[in-house]
Amino acid sequence: MALATANDLEADSLLSLSQAKVGCDFRIRFLNGPACEQLRQLGFCESLQVRKLADGRNLICTVCGTRLALSRELASQVMVGAA
Amino acid sequence: MSDVLETVALAGNPNAGKTTLFNALTGSSQRTGNYAGVTVERKSGEFFTPHGRKLRVVDLPGCYSLDGGSPDQQIARQALHGEIDGEARPDLVICVLDASNLERHLVLALQVIELGLPVVIALNMIDVAESAGLRLDPQKLSEELGGVPVVPIQANANKGIVELKQAIRHPFPHPAATTWTPENRQGRVLQICEVAARRPDTHSSTLSDKLDAWLLHPFWGWVAFAAIMIGIFWTIFSVAGIPMGWIEDGTGAVRDWVNASMSEGDFRSLLADGIVTGIGEGVLVFLPQIVLLFFFIGLLESSGYLARAAFLMDGVMAKAGLSGKAFLPLLSSYACAIPGVMATRTIDSAKERLVTIFVAPWMSCSARLPVYLTLVPLLLVGMSGLQQALIFSVIYLTGTVTALIVARILRGRLGEDATPSHFLLELPPYRAPQWSYILRHVIGRAGAFLKNAGTILLAIFILLWALSTYPKSKSEDPGEQLAHSAMGRIGDVVEPLVKPLGVDGRTGTAILTSFAAREAFVGSMTQLFHVEESDDDEETLNRLQSALSAATWPDGRKMFTLPALLGLIVFYIYALQCLPTSAVVAREAGSFKWAAGQFVFMSVFAWLAAFAVFHISSMFL
Repeated sequence: MALATANDLEADSLLSLSQAKVGCDFRIRFLNGPACEQLRQLGFCESLQVRKLADGRNLICTVCGTRLALSRELASQVMVGAA
Repeated sequence: MSDVLETVALAGNPNAGKTTLFNALTGSSQRTGNYAGVTVERKSGEFFTPHGRKLRVVDLPGCYSLDGGSPDQQIARQALHGEIDGEARPDLVICVLDASNLERHLVLALQVIELGLPVVIALNMIDVAESAGLRLDPQKLSEELGGVPVVPIQANANKGIVELKQAIRHPFPHPAATTWTPENRQGRVLQICEVAARRPDTHSSTLSDKLDAWLLHPFWGWVAFAAIMIGIFWTIFSVAGIPMGWIEDGTGAVRDWVNASMSEGDFRSLLADGIVTGIGEGVLVFLPQIVLLFFFIGLLESSGYLARAAFLMDGVMAKAGLSGKAFLPLLSSYACAIPGVMATRTIDSAKERLVTIFVAPWMSCSARLPVYLTLVPLLLVGMSGLQQALIFSVIYLTGTVTALIVARILRGRLGEDATPSHFLLELPPYRAPQWSYILRHVIGRAGAFLKNAGTILLAIFILLWALSTYPKSKSEDPGEQLAHSAMGRIGDVVEPLVKPLGVDGRTGTAILTSFAAREAFVGSMTQLFHVEESDDDEETLNRLQSALSAATWPDGRKMFTLPALLGLIVFYIYALQCLPTSAVVAREAGSFKWAAGQFVFMSVFAWLAAFAVFHISSMFL
């Protein structure tokens, strides 16, 4: 029961990386969009931890110790949840 | 020994180093590259284990998972399942993983282990992982994966290859029992990485994080960017003055020495007036500025700031239909369009790259400086330093803004790429500059510049001297001699072309020589307006400027009026007068037509712009 509630809560709390708050750590849940393959190649894989560093036209985040700048369009295809 | 060779398959993510390992194992030299997707089909070879057993090895295309849909990934999946006709299922799989990115690469390894085949893990690129501060534990990794042998290797340096061959000796290791289900595979990967590949704590903010907080700040980032750019250009124009003075003194000394040690004659005139003056004053003088510009670009590149500049500029460049990645090529073009055009290779979108190549020569390069420095002081008598600086800024801005407008129009015309590319840039951590790299970079560029001076420009100056000296007239008057010479006759031919711009055939000839190299303009004008050379170069420039302001049409009208000078400057802003640039454009764009089109477009545009500026400003001034 408790687990099911937790899972529901988590599904509700999913948001895209472009909506996420700056300065927080997230975990990538899934990728959804036409640029999935490109994102995977650059390290945006499911269940990896990502920290959003800056917002704007292009946003900055770190994945696996690599700092990346990516366009909002790409970031909106990365769905993240609480770390 | 059985007749049928046992097969070993190499599997792994793209760019994990499978082909490098294949080459190391078999001693062949298949093409490898540092990007994903170099191998798109199966390749096979043979090698021997340390016990003399012959094995067949198959190099599979890289894939991120065995569920992928693209053709090369399907090949990998079918091969591992033994579904390809005429191919047996591999007897052993070597999973090649990039040790610095286990979080990503282990997913595939787990999938392969699930297939129930004997697996050996080759942990490639351990050097990269160690330098990234990763604490790897191959023993732990092996235990976590259910006893699968794990061999750390560095395939490009042939390290660990023998150990790997030892690990695949008979009997093959047993297929490992899986301790995970396909559903919780991702979670298992993270657990494994937690114990076997600990990353340095990325949560503590590094120095790079702190710097980026300022340098990429929406407001302070721009302040820092502006300060860095102004600082660089100020240093280039002020500090370079010191060595430029030495070069000018040196040129004067050499010319004096030539004049003193040779008897009067054509050859002395060629050496002193043609070669020494042309090369020294027209070319070498600008070496310090070019060296400094390349030094600063190297410094920015190697410290990691350029990636940040590209990030900041992305919004501005987007208005011109380009991305932040076009910023570096365009910035380099202020020094010289050639390295600028070559730097466009980092741009992902093919069409954006073509557009950037097309407009790059409109960033006023260092070869135009001497032209501006000669013409600008003529615009206004007794101009202050501030006014000059202002006019220079306007000149640089004119070229840049027109370039961005044309880029936007052209980008609209070319349409979108077949595959949309998005802005995605790795921001490397800030590092202390690699001085050896910068030094090599600067010396290389300076060398190329000097080579140009010693070959093309030298030839131009000798040719110019000969054209203005022969055929000789009987008259002692240098003006009549020039009119009689081949140069004077060429001037007559080109005069109709430049007269609408408000200048005469002599200036037309100087413009013509600039098409081989712009730096030739000042030297040509000095020769064509037969300015008497002096020991002091500044004096020569002053004399040239007074000769130009005194120059008149045959009917006594002043020739270099304000509109004519403005037209001439505008012509130099827009004209693509640089053969080496056209050659590089043809190579980089992969199209001779593109280079020829650029040349014709820019020349016509320059003429029309100069024509318009001359006539419009004539109405008001």
